[in-house]
This record gives sequence, C-alpha cells and structure tokens, in this order.
Amino acid sequence: MTQENEAKDEWEPKIIGFLCNWCSYTGADLAGTSRLQYPPNIRIIKVMCSGRVNPQFILKAFQEGADGILVSGCHPGDCHYIEGNYHARRKLTLLMDLLDYMGVDSKRFQMSWVSASEGQKFAEVVTTFTNQIKEMGPQTKLRGVK
Amino acid sequence: MIDFKALEAEIKATAKKWLESGEVKFVIGYEKSPESPIARPFFAHTPEDTEKLYWGPDCINNLTLYLVEEMKKKPKKGQPPFTHAVGIVVKPCDSRTIVELMKEHMVPRERVKIIGVISEESINPDKLYLALKNVPASQRRNIRFHDAGENFRITYQGGELSVPKKELEADKCKVCVVHKAVIADVFVGTGEIEFKPDDFSDIKELEEMSEEERWKYWEQQMSRCVRCYACRDACPLCYCEECVFDREKPYRWVEKSVQVRENSFYHLVRAMHLAGRCIDCGECQRVCPMEIPIRQLNRFLIKKAKDRFKVFSGMNAEEKPMFGTYDLDDPGEEIK
Ligand code: SF4
Ligand code: SF4
Ligand code: FES
Repeated sequence: MTQENEAKDEWEPKIIGFLCNWCSYTGADLAGTSRLQYPPNIRIIKVMCSGRVNPQFILKAFQEGADGILVSGCHPGDCHYIEGNYHARRKLTLLMDLLDYMGVDSKRFQMSWVSASEGQKFAEVVTTFTNQIKEMGPQTKLRGVK
Repeated sequence: MIDFKALEAEIKATAKKWLESGEVKFVIGYEKSPESPIARPFFAHTPEDTEKLYWGPDCINNLTLYLVEEMKKKPKKGQPPFTHAVGIVVKPCDSRTIVELMKEHMVPRERVKIIGVISEESINPDKLYLALKNVPASQRRNIRFHDAGENFRITYQGGELSVPKKELEADKCKVCVVHKAVIADVFVGTGEIEFKPDDFSDIKELEEMSEEERWKYWEQQMSRCVRCYACRDACPLCYCEECVFDREKPYRWVEKSVQVRENSFYHLVRAMHLAGRCIDCGECQRVCPMEIPIRQLNRFLIKKAKDRFKVFSGMNAEEKPMFGTYDLDDPGEEIK
C-alpha cells in the first residue's frame, strides 16, 4: 500500500448536517431510537426550518473544513412554517449551480427531504452521502488549503 | 444617428422645469469637466445648475446609487418622514435598477422623477483611454463625442479622431436587452423598446470548462482581489445599512486577510446577495482596480435565475423579489 493510500484510509470526512427541528431532526432521532446504523461522520446542527439555512452557512462550513454538507427539511407541502422549504429550495439549488460554476463540485452539498417518520430514509441518506464524500476525498478548495 | 447635443438640451430643459416648479429637490445627472475624458455625476440643485448638465456616450455611472443614498436618509427624531422627490437621468440599464429598487420598496415611485434617455450604447472607459493613447496628455481636454454612423468622432483640444463605435462599446451594452428606459416620466430621444435575446455566449466558454479548469481560473482571479470592496460600494443594489462583511459581532463572517479562502467567500456571498436582483449595469466590474471579471459571476446567476425560476430582474415593479417568493413547481431534482 502506498503512503498516499494509507493517508486516505485514515482520513474520515467531516460532514455537517443542517436538520430542521420538525421533520428531519425528529427523523434522525427516530433513526437513533430505532438503533439504525449510520456513519458517525455527520455533525448535526438543528435549525428551526430548512428555510433558516442561509447560503452563508454552507459556504462558511466549507471554509471551516467541512468535506460535505447535508441540508434536510420537511417534504414539500409539509413544512411547519408552510413555505420555508420552498424558499430553501430556491436559494440552495441556486447556490449549488454557483458552486459548480466556481469549480467546486456541488455534490459535496446535498439536500434531502426527510419526514419525522423516515428514520430509515435518514440513515440511508447519511450512509450514501458519507460514502460518496469518502470517495471524493477532502474538500480543500474553499478551505484554502492545498 | 444620435444628436447628443439635442438630447442634452432636452435633459436640461426638463430638469430646469422640474427645479423651477419645485417638483424635485434636485436632479441627479452628469456633467463634463474639461479634464475628465468621461462624464461624472452632477447634482443640479437650482435651475441655473442645469446649464451644466451633459449627455454623451461617456455617461457611464449608474446614478441610481445616489438615489438610494437620498432615499435612505432619515429625518431627525420627531420630524415627519421625508417626502420630497428627486429627479434623475437614467440610461435604459439604470432604469431597470430603479424598477428593482421599487420592487424592494427602497424607492417609492412618487419620490423619483425619471428622465429616461434612449441610448444605443455606452463606451468602455478603458477602451477610450486606449483610443486616446496617442493624444498628448495636455490635449486631452474638452473631450466630446459626435455620432458619425459607424464611428464616433471624438474632438479634443486642438484635434479630433474617429474611432469605430464597436471598438469603444462597453461589454454590458453588447448584451443589453432594452434600449429604452423601462420606466420614466419623460423620455428623451426617439426609439422603441427593442428586445434582442441575450444568449450568454460570453460565459459559455467558462461553463464548458472542466471543473478543475474552472476552479483554476477562479482561484487565480480570487487570489488577485484586494477586497477593497469598491465593487460593493459602487453597486446601487448593495444598500444594506450594515453589511455582513463589516460585521464583527456577534460573529465575524469574513477575515480581513486577503486570501483565496476569504475572497471566494466574499465573492460567492456577494453574488448570491445579488441573485435575481442584479441588472448587469456593470458598475462593479468597472470600478474594480484589479479587473476581476465580476460580471461573469453576476451573469451566470442572471442566466440561472432565468432558466430555473423564469426570473429576469428590473422589468416589472409589480413582481416580487426572486427570493421573496417561490413557485410550487420550482425545479429541485437535486434534492433527494
Ligand atoms: S473591486 Fe475588485 S479588488 Fe475590490 S473587492 Fe471588488 S473584486 Fe476585489
Ligand atoms: S452587481 Fe454589479 S452589475 Fe449587478 S447591479 Fe450591482 S453594480 Fe450593477
Ligand atoms: S419546518 Fe421543516 S422545512 Fe420548514
């Protein structure tokens, strides 16, 4: 095994999850209480609604060393505040486009709709996303490290 | 052919009328000093001042910047709110800024009286300086422009020269979709609203690059930015009382140091704040001392706003701001 591979094996991605209080956070809670397994790489930040997630949060998290970011909220139509997730969809999908345009792979930034009863889905989303980020390696561009 | 002198006379007459009747407190327009190759902002407070007003293809500034400043002024405590109107001379692109400002309730319609000039094109000052490079500095005075069909005849102290219009045309004018103010109280000049589709071909090359190439390109650009914030200060739509980049408390979003890491954060956030609002007046790029291609960021978001949400800024003051509303059918295939 080359040294590089060794280093890669030891490296564990840092993933930030912005979860809305009413659906996705409860969904994550359900995944926990149901003892579903998912990778421990995700650090969860509870927000009241996915609409609270300012594009700056995403960019700042990348800058501070996140390798992947997940924003998760209620399914369209189910937002506790009626329309927060529709606003989030507008803002954040546009941010994805902009990241790509800057040459930063927007696959590092994922959104998903997870309801309070979808503990299973939450575990799956986190597992797939973590594996994908592991595959992609560390995020260095916005962090400003070579 | 455009008779700049005639347009100027119409502007002067309108401004004079408004100032004499007291409809407006002052008129924001352009003047030409003997020294400056391009026109500069001018504030006419009295009917006599209007003599100084100027019009030409070198009226480049987006004057709505000063309109916002005036609208932001608050009376002293206990005094009634300001209601006075302000007159302003706008090019078609600048008129779209006013529409955008009205959408955001920054400029009430009744507080602005607009002289909308029908303009074919503005010039790019950099290109003008280039064209004038063989003229001795001592003669670069009293520069005036005359329309001569395909060319501009540029007269200066003790001489004149003829330059093809295409060589002086500002980049933003090449992709302009309106050639008449979209909102005005008085139109100056003749012409009809003419839409020519913008195909965004200027950013195509960048979009077609590979991701790594694109990052290389932007990393290089971002490494050059000195974060003087001139681009922010020149933008008429960047009018927050307290800018997030100046904030220290409760959290400092961006460090003072000039590095790719901080600069790209600045530019990404700035671009997002202008998304669906920027009308591509090009002021940000024009004032940049480092020639950072800021318009390429803005124009990408203009294109995406159109593709994704069918939003095109600055055309209709009745619309809601793009991020102030949503559509149940907004695309979101990326969301799993
Ligand atoms: S004007 Fe140019 S150098 Fe100054 S902050 Fe803007 S992009 Fe950077
Ligand atoms: S971002 Fe630049 S082009 Fe857009 S409105 Fe502001 S100054 Fe004009
Ligand atoms: S409360 Fe869950 S997305 Fe708004």
